[in-house]
Amino acid sequence: ATHIAEQEERQLRDYDEALELWSTFQTKTQPLSQSLSSQLRLILTPTQSTKLSGSFRTGKRLNIKKIIPYIASSYKRDKIWMRRAIPSKRAYQILLCVDDSSSMDDNNRSSSGRLALESLVMVARALTVLETGQIGVLGFGTDVFVAHALTNTSFSSHDTGARVLQKFTFKQEGTDMIRLLRKTIDHFRDARLTQASSSGGEDLWQLALILSDGLVQSRDHARLRPLLREAMEQRVMVVFIVMDDAKENKKGHSVLELKEARFGPDGTPVIHRYLDSFPFPYYLIVHHLEDLPGALAGLLRQWFAEVNS
Amino acid sequence: MDEPMADAHSAQVKVTFTTTEADFQLPESKRQLLVPADIKRYGLSRILNSDLMLDTGSIPFDFLVNGSFLRSSLEDYLNDNGLSLESNLTLQYVRSLIPPTFEASF
Ligand SMILES: [Mg+2]
Repeated sequence: ATHIAEQEERQLRDYDEALELWSTFQTKTQPLSQSLSSQLRLILTPTQSTKLSGSFRTGKRLNIKKIIPYIASSYKRDKIWMRRAIPSKRAYQILLCVDDSSSMDDNNRSSSGRLALESLVMVARALTVLETGQIGVLGFGTDVFVAHALTNTSFSSHDTGARVLQKFTFKQEGTDMIRLLRKTIDHFRDARLTQASSSGGEDLWQLALILSDGLVQSRDHARLRPLLREAMEQRVMVVFIVMDDAKENKKGHSVLELKEARFGPDGTPVIHRYLDSFPFPYYLIVHHLEDLPGALAGLLRQWFAEVNS
Repeated sequence: MDEPMADAHSAQVKVTFTTTEADFQLPESKRQLLVPADIKRYGLSRILNSDLMLDTGSIPFDFLVNGSFLRSSLEDYLNDNGLSLESNLTLQYVRSLIPPTFEASF
């Protein structure tokens, strides 16, 4: 069994401050949240079933197996038509993984932390409105912690939200993305087993959204690839949302421009673009909060199309 | 840094270069950089001089962090000041005024 430790010793943000933050962010992101939920509704809700089945008096296609009994019964057993079955119900489990490391903090002249929390509020609200399944929130840095367990309890009350925001202070002194992916895959595997025993036949989709400034030690990039492959094999979709604030005074600070310098064997400096070795196949870069609903919906639409093709 | 190829596995720290010297300004897109955490003044100088940065050949530079000259590796500086690799360090570079004979002391 895997456990993600609830850290007893975690320093929490003041409750009233967190409550104030949640309500400010919820008000601010309300229109964006609505836009996201209506876009997601179209993507996440199956509208068409591909299979024809059943026996009906009217329908789309004849059920050949019913023809002989139909004739034999002197045309009395006339339920010989098949219809499109009701689309199979999909269930979702969505984990929002928020980077709690100190590179996200304002003290580091980064506004990624704030942008990540605003995005968290917006996405959590959109998913709550959709009533699409279970939502959980993980925090990560040097460690991984559960900020909100993967349950049906959604973010309809400010209290629930505030208790999550309390856990994000951006003080962790490392960004262990390897550990995050490991824990995410394990968490989803456990959740899948629980789900399977409680409800049958539902089509379960598991999605992890990582909200982070995207700064991972480059030496970890290669070690992340096998984990991303494992996630894919487990049908867990991982989307990396890079919080890349592009407000005033931030020119030249975008992760898109970020380079890394290494020394070759002869001591000559070699410079590469940081994102060139970034291992996440599905990532999007958000400069402004307003970009997120469209970008996320677009990416999920593309992914569903690929999976269903 | 004993084995040169070990570099690819070393930790990195993000730095932002600034300068007040008009002749050595970097374009905005080159001011932030991830560098090996065990880098010292000499390595930083080499990076700045490289053709992808200032393309200045081999001008020795000194680096100021929070007002004082960097005299150790960035990693040691972070440790000594209770900072982690998550920090974004601002490095102000100036043309070195120290005569080359004294360079060994850095
Ligand atoms: Mg970080």
